[in-house]
Amino acid sequence: MGKTSLYASTILFGGALALSWFTHGTGVVVNDASKHVSIPQNLAVPLQVQAAYNGTDVYFRYRWPAPNPGIFHDMLRFSGGKWEVKGSVVPGSQPDGLHEDRVSMMLDDGSVPEFGRYGGYIAIGDKLAGFTEEADGKAIKDHPYLGKKLGLDEPTKYLPATRKNPNDWASTVPEGEQAKLQAAGYFLDLWHWRAARSNPVGVADDQFITAGRLSDSGRGMYTTNWDGDKKQPRVMFDAAKTGGIKALKWADITGGKVNPEGVHALREDISVPFDPNAGWQEGDTIPRRALRAAQGSRADIAVAGKATWADGYWEVTLKRKMNTEKPLEDKIIRDGGIYQAAFAIHRQATGGRWHYVSLPVSVGFGREADLVATPFTGDAPDWKQASLGVKLFYPGQVSWPHLNSVKHGGATSIARGIPVKSRHSEEQLAHYGIEAEFAGPIRSQWFLTLFAGLGLIAAFGWALLKSTPKSEA
Amino acid sequence: MAGYHVVLVHFPTALWMTAALAILYRAFFDGPLAQSIDRALVPLLSIALVFGVSAYAVGLFVWPFEAITASPLGRNHMLLATWTTAYWALLLVLRWRRGQAIWQGSMRYVTAGLAAIGAVLLGITGTLGGHLIGVYTDVSQVLRRLGWEVYTTFYVPNTTLAVLGAISLLLVGIGLRARRA
Repeated sequence: MGKTSLYASTILFGGALALSWFTHGTGVVVNDASKHVSIPQNLAVPLQVQAAYNGTDVYFRYRWPAPNPGIFHDMLRFSGGKWEVKGSVVPGSQPDGLHEDRVSMMLDDGSVPEFGRYGGYIAIGDKLAGFTEEADGKAIKDHPYLGKKLGLDEPTKYLPATRKNPNDWASTVPEGEQAKLQAAGYFLDLWHWRAARSNPVGVADDQFITAGRLSDSGRGMYTTNWDGDKKQPRVMFDAAKTGGIKALKWADITGGKVNPEGVHALREDISVPFDPNAGWQEGDTIPRRALRAAQGSRADIAVAGKATWADGYWEVTLKRKMNTEKPLEDKIIRDGGIYQAAFAIHRQATGGRWHYVSLPVSVGFGREADLVATPFTGDAPDWKQASLGVKLFYPGQVSWPHLNSVKHGGATSIARGIPVKSRHSEEQLAHYGIEAEFAGPIRSQWFLTLFAGLGLIAAFGWALLKSTPKSEA
Repeated sequence: MAGYHVVLVHFPTALWMTAALAILYRAFFDGPLAQSIDRALVPLLSIALVFGVSAYAVGLFVWPFEAITASPLGRNHMLLATWTTAYWALLLVLRWRRGQAIWQGSMRYVTAGLAAIGAVLLGITGTLGGHLIGVYTDVSQVLRRLGWEVYTTFYVPNTTLAVLGAISLLLVGIGLRARRA
């Protein structure tokens, strides 16, 4: 009896251990659009960056893998006799492939000291767009400063000191204080290249982050191509200038058959006012964004040469004056300076927070740094220097309020100014970001697992004890 | 409290690892040295358990409870520390209550297996603790290759929990039946 019990107990215990090992980590992490949860298959993407300057202009060159060129954003499709919007942002990849590829860079000159230590995490405030718990767009619109003054209509990134309580998106400091902060350089410059909404007119969007994500002064490079009263586009392709094309075909767009080098963006120079009687066919599709020449500070960042997608990689070079003479909106680059940058990309038809981000890197101009900008003379760099490999990762739902809360063991390290890189790797942060999206359910399941294991060990001990005869000690 | 925890964990780690070696030696040898080692086993396991429980208790105060139970590495460290302590307590009770019987027949190999599992649990607990303070070994790489990314929380799905519950009940039943036999 004793021997049989012993063997049975041991086999059962071993089986329980094996079952636990092979099934662990399953059953909780599942995509759920209603909670804004969509986990990408790849948690990390490599980015190569180079920088160069000639005393007048600064260049940044980016190269990253993208399975296909995401050159379309939202569209208007003619279907059932009326125009409908397609390609609005969804959690994860837009099913029709309608969200543009992007590369963006936040840049600081040391005026936002936490940025150099924690990168973009400092700008992820309370209830941002795309989080499971996000602030209501209407509440933002109605907010006296964010909505009425700044014109925001969704909860965007913001810097901690722009709020009385960084854990409350609505608690903005007074307008005079905001202006003082900005004048002191407390903002992040944001270079934002968009494959559909800026690249076809040869620019990147020039923006900055302070109390929200704002655009530089001047005129933007895109408008919404929708006449709400008539429920139709405002403009369409000018067939006389596009080889007879007045609209694209839905099947060509979703089938990836539109040549990125051919007609695809609704630029001002190839568009005409919309004609409702142009004999529209089922599936005719027009971009929902009409492009035009940007003006003022918003037009500061140009695409140098041509952005190209080939063999599964985007290669984009951006160029800007080192001194744009807009110190309230741009970080002025000076030879001999060290700056901090953090990069991000969107690919595979993702928008909003479904991007890959980097930890901060230092950029030196004539100084040692993670990324050393190479000086050159003439009009264009030769890019012979080695590029910096940056590991981008999916950040999940991790906010600055959470990182500074009692729920984060490293909150005291942040208070002491210990940089994120000294504690966490990109891989670790990607996994932590996902776990943060399922914080409650994972915690509960972990507790149950802990107690189940404890119960199993106790039961095994009992079985062994009773199956083994007593003997002299 | 982190410093005290780090100092304290050295004791149970050393004592339990020593105990694991002692058990393995005793499981395969019956000579005078093996007998002497065996006689030291209960005191050794008892002292280790006292230090283990102390280190565990102090560890609970390194971070706020909300923080340790919100961090994947923190959860894993706590889970493994709990299981390791319970597991070595089981070995202590077994040797203390059953004496030489645990070295007789095939039971000696079961005991050796238990010691090996105990050493593995202890090693994983230690490496997870090392991760939490930024000093760690390549044990986590081995675990990754075996299928567990240590930066993700170790938990099992409800079906597995149900099976574990059923197995635990079966084990209790086996114990009751063996007691009556």
